[in-house]
Amino acid sequence: MSLIASAILAPLSAAPLILLLRRLPAALALLGAGVGLLASLGLLVDASHGIGDALILPGLPDLPLRLVATPLTALLSSLVAVISSLVLVYATGYMKQDSEKPRFFAIMLFFVSAMQTLVLAGDWILLLAAWELIGLASYLLIGFWYRRPGVRSAATRAFLVTRSADLGLYIAVFILIAGAGSSDIATTLDTGGRAAVAAGLLLLIAAMGKSAQTPLHDWLQRAMAGPTPVSALLHSATLVAAGAILLIRTAPMLPPEVLLAIGIVGGITSVVTGLIALGEPDLKRLLAASTSSQYGLMLVAVGAGVPLAALLHLIAHAAIKSSLFLGAGVFQHSRDSTALTELAGAGRDRPRIFAGFALAALALAGIPPLSGFYSKDAVIAAALASTKAPILASLALAGTLLTGAYMARTLRVLWRGSGKRRDIAGLGWMGAGLAGLVILAIFLGAAFPAVERLLSVRLPENTLAQVLGLSAALGGLALGWLIPARRLLGPLLPWAQQGFALAGGLDTWMVRPALAVARGCEQLERQLYAGVLAVGRLGLGIGQAVRRSDDRVIDGLIFSLARATVNLGHRARTLQSGLIHRELAVTAVGTVLIFVPLFIALLIF
Amino acid sequence: MPSLVSITLFLPLLGALLVMALRKAPAQVVHSIGIVVSGLTLTGAVLMWSRGVNETGFAQLEQFDWMPAIGAAYRVGVDGISLPLVLLSALLFFVTFIYSAKVRERSHAYVVLLLLLETAAIGTFTALDAILFYVFFEVSLVSMYFMIAGWGHEDRQRAALMFFLYTLLGSLPLLLAILGLYLGSDPHTFDMRVWIDKPPLTGTAAMPALVAMLFTFAVKTPVFPFHTWLPAAHVQAPAAGSVILAGVMLKFGTYGLIRFALQMTPGAFRDAGIAILVLGVVSALYGAFAALAQSDLKRLIAYTSVNHMGYIIVGVAIAALALDPAIRATALDGSVLQMVSHGLVTGALFFLVGMLQDRARTREMDRFGGLLKVTPLLGWSFVLAAFASLGLPGLAHFPAEFQIFLATLRVEPVADVVILGIVITAGLYLKAISRVFLGEPREQWAGMADLNVREVLALGPLLILIIALGIAPAWVLDIIHQTTAALRF
Repeated sequence: MSLIASAILAPLSAAPLILLLRRLPAALALLGAGVGLLASLGLLVDASHGIGDALILPGLPDLPLRLVATPLTALLSSLVAVISSLVLVYATGYMKQDSEKPRFFAIMLFFVSAMQTLVLAGDWILLLAAWELIGLASYLLIGFWYRRPGVRSAATRAFLVTRSADLGLYIAVFILIAGAGSSDIATTLDTGGRAAVAAGLLLLIAAMGKSAQTPLHDWLQRAMAGPTPVSALLHSATLVAAGAILLIRTAPMLPPEVLLAIGIVGGITSVVTGLIALGEPDLKRLLAASTSSQYGLMLVAVGAGVPLAALLHLIAHAAIKSSLFLGAGVFQHSRDSTALTELAGAGRDRPRIFAGFALAALALAGIPPLSGFYSKDAVIAAALASTKAPILASLALAGTLLTGAYMARTLRVLWRGSGKRRDIAGLGWMGAGLAGLVILAIFLGAAFPAVERLLSVRLPENTLAQVLGLSAALGGLALGWLIPARRLLGPLLPWAQQGFALAGGLDTWMVRPALAVARGCEQLERQLYAGVLAVGRLGLGIGQAVRRSDDRVIDGLIFSLARATVNLGHRARTLQSGLIHRELAVTAVGTVLIFVPLFIALLIF
Repeated sequence: MPSLVSITLFLPLLGALLVMALRKAPAQVVHSIGIVVSGLTLTGAVLMWSRGVNETGFAQLEQFDWMPAIGAAYRVGVDGISLPLVLLSALLFFVTFIYSAKVRERSHAYVVLLLLLETAAIGTFTALDAILFYVFFEVSLVSMYFMIAGWGHEDRQRAALMFFLYTLLGSLPLLLAILGLYLGSDPHTFDMRVWIDKPPLTGTAAMPALVAMLFTFAVKTPVFPFHTWLPAAHVQAPAAGSVILAGVMLKFGTYGLIRFALQMTPGAFRDAGIAILVLGVVSALYGAFAALAQSDLKRLIAYTSVNHMGYIIVGVAIAALALDPAIRATALDGSVLQMVSHGLVTGALFFLVGMLQDRARTREMDRFGGLLKVTPLLGWSFVLAAFASLGLPGLAHFPAEFQIFLATLRVEPVADVVILGIVITAGLYLKAISRVFLGEPREQWAGMADLNVREVLALGPLLILIIALGIAPAWVLDIIHQTTAALRF
């Protein structure tokens, strides 16, 4: 079997196996993910030697499905495989006490294979399919503990928001296929003119939904209802990454006006969600807001015309953010809560976990020589080099400053104060998964030149960017450590804690109008039904009226005719009295009455 | 020796006669006869499938004289549009017989009616003579009327009568149109193939015929605002009746729309294309919104039928408006596939609601909760079918709707606003899943039994095909595409 198929099918085939056997779910999951990882790395090695791979599958008439391994897709596939394998190692420990492990691991593997399909897809239909399937998988994972309060609405909301935005992808795909006459992604990237503008803007909408960009950022914070390994996977290399990956892959097609829109959306998101993270009282929700913020920075890089910078930040962020979530999961198990007030001092209890968490936090802030420094530097350099540098670079630097501030705030909370420490089952597995990811978060920066070579693109060098980026990061860290978030945010605090929802957010703008229309339809429906019944009744009424008229008028006529006849009979009977002389007289009169007209008639004619 | 088509067509009728002859047989025997006969019919349909269709028109033809004086004959055959529907019908009847094996109330009459209905359904899809078509089309009404009136729920009499009168009155215009086409053909004939090859009515004469046909098929499909019989009939019909009604009988409308309206009056259809398109768009969106407002699970699914059938109307209208044969083929491929998908998905959903109602004696969503824990098999089956119905890729509706929407964008981009429907259906199904299956299980339903073997056997084939059709639609699309790619009008 080809490597490209194995990368998808290995995790996919392990999923039903787990459900059927219901034994050793974690071991089977690791096996499936491991084989998939080897296949992905094989693709990457091949790609680095200039060997591509492609698989064409039957799809719709004239629109076959394609999987392609190019340097970019192979790299993304490896990223997904590495991160998901390490998260699964961690989950082996995290889910140790859960009674529904088979379901958990089966959905996780399904999720991984759907994401592999998405990154390896060579045509729009397969990409769209995978895009929606990761939505399903995240719905099932966010709703994993479906009996707990609040979980179902979180899962429902995540699916609905992303699906609404997915309409953008649907229409964009139709436009691109209609324009190119083919669903091959590489072919459609030649699209130009108005079609490219329309498709580009629609792709941006789809990406905003998946990557939780302002104003569609709200669902991601709520999605924290799922198990922590799910969050680690969702936020790093899978669901949320899909939006940025979409824009990175289509970047060659995007016209300048679309790029500007992407950059501005990303920049605004990185500031807005950065502020939300700064004011957030819950650790996992803080990390979720931070995810939106970092994806905002990637969009800035795409908007600045340097998708490679976005890709590097995506790679670095994947390792960093999954490390942070996995660390947060340990703290959560140890305090049975994710509220920052409950977590005070949780880091000091477990110094090794805290060390990993802190390294990842510093990497996210952009401190050298950790990976985040290089990627963030690339983003800022891209923004500075763009024609819209004043807007994009200032937003990117503000986002960087805020990253430092909220990470410092988190570290301070975790280190200061004290609370009750609880023993945790499965810490070994959790530590192993976390360690692997933290190592990546630290050293991935060293691999970036190799990525540049692989993709044959050079990043712009810019000392100014390094200086500015580093000062923003250090400034942010200092602010966050020294000044309480309350004072930093000032009057913005209550607004930030509401998630900057615009006048009630999604509910006001989408859910309520839809429900109102639905109620309107239902009312119309009742009226229509009543109308049909009324027509039916009218028919019955006419029928009854006819029957009544039958009774009175026609029947009446008939009956009165009958009565008249009977009466006539009665009268006639009186004639037949039986008296001979009267009978003779009647006969004579009758004969005369008959013969007189006859005579008259004969005389006339 | 009669042809395979005729054997498949009349097997259920023979089965019905057999059941009528065995008046003293116990219910189990009667149900076994139903299952075996419908199983044989399904085998016949599969054999028909394996013989396939050809690109030049109808395949597997059989013909002999019936009323030669007026040009009516027994003519049957299939093409890429009707063959998938024959297979779908045979399958749905087979699983319906399995599901119905529990019916103890007047089981003789029940099995006879269902078998009659099966012959009527397959006859409607295979008839190539307009009189024959009309006979099958009407006979199905009678059987369904008795199904609803005899084995339905609370308010069944009224619903059955409404269904019967509505669709009976609805089908009269079709008779007029058939007469018009007959009188327009030269020499006079009821041969549908002749009418398709050389449309008898053209110009202004075609428009009244089209309007008459549109009315009939709009009632049958049903299209807003002629759909009011549907929720009433579905809610009151027994689960098996709902499955056949939604899965098979609604397709009479869309099949007729393609076979009669589009193929026999193509010019007039093109002239009226925009109006029909608007009707389809409004119907699809209206059905979705009306479904969103429901609290009765069965009504909800009934309204999503209006939504899904609306997409088919859109697809057919786009096919008529498209000038490029490739786009036309895409639109029709999607429309025909959507009929198959809808049959499988809605069939499964009505079975599941029926199973819920058998257990809980209610269909109100708010009275349930947490059932995923209590009845995992039922719950996950519902989740799968619901996600299929909301158009998730990898499941049956996606390839069909994708093709319809793609063709729509290429012909009338504005009409693609109909795609909003997939978000609304997502919302309403997630709401239903959340209310019925998620959350903490209620005490009241703690003892609810999960699916039994009979129910798994009825549902299983549908769910497997929903996935098979979603992942690899090619095995059905190849048959459909052979015909749609060759259509010239």
